[in-house]
Amino acid sequence: MTQRKRLSATQSSSQSRRQTGSLLAQEEDDDSTFTQPSSTQVQRGLEKLTPAQVDQKTAEVVQYFLVKDQKKIPIRRADLVKHVVKEYRNIYPEIMKRAVRIFDQVFGLKLVEIDTKNHMYILVNKLETVEGASPINSPTNPKMGLLFVILSVIFMKGGVVRENLIWNTLKKLRVDPAEKHEEFGDVKRVVTDEFVRQRYLEYVRIPHTEPPEHEFRWGQRADMEVSKAKILEFMGQLHEQDPQSWSQQYREAHSTPSSTQASTSSQR
Amino acid sequence: MSSVTIHCFEFLKKYRCLLYSPIDCKYRVPSAAPHVDLLQVAVIHPTLQTTGSLKRAEEGRGGGNSRKARSVSDELSRDMSQQMGDSHRRFLQTMMANGIVDEQGARALYQHCCETHSTQCTPDKLDDFIDTINSRLQPMFMQIRKGMSEDNGQQYYALVNMAETNVTRMSSDYADNELELFRKTMDLIVGSENGKASSTDILNSTDTMTAKKLKKSETEHLLNRFVNDKWLNEKRGEYTLSTRCIIEMEPYIRAMYQDQVKVCHICRNIAFQCQICENPACGIKIHNPCVARYFKGRSEPRCPACDDFWPHEIPEVRRPQSRSRR
Amino acid sequence: MKRARGGGDEEGPRQNGSAGRRKGDQQQSDGDDGDSAFGPADLQDDDNDPGLRREIRSKYRDLINSVQQNREDMLSPSNNKLTEVLEQANKLFKDVRQAREAALDAQLLVVATDLGKEKASQLFAEGTAFDPTAFAEHLLSFMGLNRLEDGEEEQNGGAVDGYLPQDAWHRVARRAECCFRTAPSFHYMMGSFHAEPPPPKQKTERQRKAPSKEAKRIMPTQLKKMEESHQEATEKEVERILGYLKSYYQDDPTSPISYYEFVIDPSSFSRTVENIFHTSFLIRDGLARMYLDSAKLPCIAPVEEGEVEAGGSCSRKQCIISISPKMWKELIDAFDIRDTMIQPPNTE
Repeated sequence: MTQRKRLSATQSSSQSRRQTGSLLAQEEDDDSTFTQPSSTQVQRGLEKLTPAQVDQKTAEVVQYFLVKDQKKIPIRRADLVKHVVKEYRNIYPEIMKRAVRIFDQVFGLKLVEIDTKNHMYILVNKLETVEGASPINSPTNPKMGLLFVILSVIFMKGGVVRENLIWNTLKKLRVDPAEKHEEFGDVKRVVTDEFVRQRYLEYVRIPHTEPPEHEFRWGQRADMEVSKAKILEFMGQLHEQDPQSWSQQYREAHSTPSSTQASTSSQR
Repeated sequence: MSSVTIHCFEFLKKYRCLLYSPIDCKYRVPSAAPHVDLLQVAVIHPTLQTTGSLKRAEEGRGGGNSRKARSVSDELSRDMSQQMGDSHRRFLQTMMANGIVDEQGARALYQHCCETHSTQCTPDKLDDFIDTINSRLQPMFMQIRKGMSEDNGQQYYALVNMAETNVTRMSSDYADNELELFRKTMDLIVGSENGKASSTDILNSTDTMTAKKLKKSETEHLLNRFVNDKWLNEKRGEYTLSTRCIIEMEPYIRAMYQDQVKVCHICRNIAFQCQICENPACGIKIHNPCVARYFKGRSEPRCPACDDFWPHEIPEVRRPQSRSRR
Repeated sequence: MKRARGGGDEEGPRQNGSAGRRKGDQQQSDGDDGDSAFGPADLQDDDNDPGLRREIRSKYRDLINSVQQNREDMLSPSNNKLTEVLEQANKLFKDVRQAREAALDAQLLVVATDLGKEKASQLFAEGTAFDPTAFAEHLLSFMGLNRLEDGEEEQNGGAVDGYLPQDAWHRVARRAECCFRTAPSFHYMMGSFHAEPPPPKQKTERQRKAPSKEAKRIMPTQLKKMEESHQEATEKEVERILGYLKSYYQDDPTSPISYYEFVIDPSSFSRTVENIFHTSFLIRDGLARMYLDSAKLPCIAPVEEGEVEAGGSCSRKQCIISISPKMWKELIDAFDIRDTMIQPPNTE
């Protein structure tokens, strides 16, 4: 992935943030002044604190991740340090190490840094979904259906599609981006803003297009969360066709090393 | 009692933010002496932390009275030694996704989680299984807590948050003015005689909002969301607190509505849908399902406190209907 | 799919174009539509006919548009639409004389080449090509589309008619679950807001109002939504009632009109409710105002024409009122109401 594209993706998402420019700049400042403490600094910091204090701060960090994950928007390190870690920033790596362990051991979740440049984190499930076997039917979010369709089309079309293809496909499915949908509301906003901020999708302007045209790709969260092999399996079912007949897609789905996806193993 | 109190006191010192600290104690027990406050809170504390265990003991389940006597820290140290496995994690994740699950559902889920991860499943050890999870959730002030539905008397398990902190207030499920409306609805329900608030009253209560006022149509939409998210129940235009809400908010309601909250004479939990003894000198309250269970098979029901005739209609004991896997 | 064209042509007109346009701006500002451009080398009669020039540009734009709009159809291996477009462009190109036209031709060519590239990659890709149209078709079936039996609906741009069930997207979401490894999120109510005790209540008042069973039934508890289709009927009725209000007011502008006397129909409870409902629109729209008289009883008066604007700006208060048959009877007795002030609509 090219630098340009990444850059514009972050730009578009930061533009849509509610914060005013000055506040945003201040946060950025916060992050730049925050330098990862060295291991000796951490060691010295830990010596000054009781284990209970470190545990409590860790619990707060875990809580913060859980609360922020309600909207599925990646969590910025700058915000985490500013709102929660605060005066414990000198032992930040130790706290993160412990938070990762709690998510792993207690929740079966994996805390992943999806953007090492801007330091953004998401939570991903480590447990495999057992298809249709759970006695409890958890509530479903219809937006995930919408997202699934879009991700499927992008993947099946080789990883990048023009926005028109998505809008036309959705129209065929009775979702008109120009109209207010009773379940999704403003469809265009959900797809090009919400899904983008959640990092499920990338929505980037194609250079030299007038009027401007955009293309969609998978976002980093989709790369972490969504199984291409399982999408292809669904495609096979839907089209009553062997998934292997889409040979390029099949190769891609099965060449992705499973390690990039959250694995079920947990160090205990 | 004293040993529990002392242990709680220790615990209290450690996790002070769990409780409403004396500094902003506008709603705390009004008292001149701060130590009395602490004691009061400490007395509330066991219900807050181990409602499940205590309730179980009272119901005569979960291994008899020994549990009741066991102190909080005993329980903590015992559970700390138990490790969580993927089956626990899957159970917890399902609780996160659902918020609340009835007892039968929880049993089926327990079995399913154990089967999926090939671990041993002992059907009557569900509460121990949950205790293991709870011991690890404790530092995050989370808990899977058991409680009774006022509608059908069945037991439910809900995943609850136990503390109000700077972090928990960052929750983004509802906007500030929407939360204000929820609090107003709670005021109306707790302050009512019958544990209900009519949609008309709730809609009119938006007039006194301090945050950005909600339009009537927005309020209607919001009330639907509260029902969908399982915080309120609605029946013929009247709203009640849901089982999930009562389980999670119980300590809060006890603390904030001290002089309004009703407590069931039988199960000692807070009560909204209940019958009230008509003897003006007595006036005890009993949950409808507790009434059903308590008076079952008695020809002439009498108040368990004052022995006056119990004049209300005695509801039937509701058996949980057997359910197949959905 | 190659197009024959002179090598020099492509660069030539473009340079002329930019020069020509600048000239055009300076010299031809009084031209037909201000956008005709003259290259110094293009001064032949035919080539300077602005109408013809415009027509060519417009045709190019249409062609570019159609390629962009129908991109997916054109990509389909089953048709030759792309070739058709290029043939059309070739015809147009014969008449291209000016820079702007050439620029449009170049733009079309970029779009078409891009499309051709994708189409080619599709043809040469191994395995099955993914067809989004077929995908949407299958997905509609999966979502439980109730297809209409009518065969002639097919003309509708190839789209299938029918309606989706309520849970259509939930079905997709449910199926998608196993493809996602989304972390479940934690939701709670307790702790999401600042703890605050309820406002002090007048305890005595609450206790005085011991609820008898009748009292409980009096409150209407649910507000049903008005059906959209009745909206017009409502508007008419509201206007009719405004007419009544105005005429009573004009009869004697000095004596206040009692709200209850105005809305209550002593012969029909349901008419009373309807009157209250319709009158509320007059208040909402600022066409009537309510106030309390010296005895603290509600009165209603129309708002004068001139006042309407001013009324709109002052702060509005919303209130929901309720009425039960019992209250209705009590009010009839209290106000001694014998006749309705608002005649039912069909008896007029």
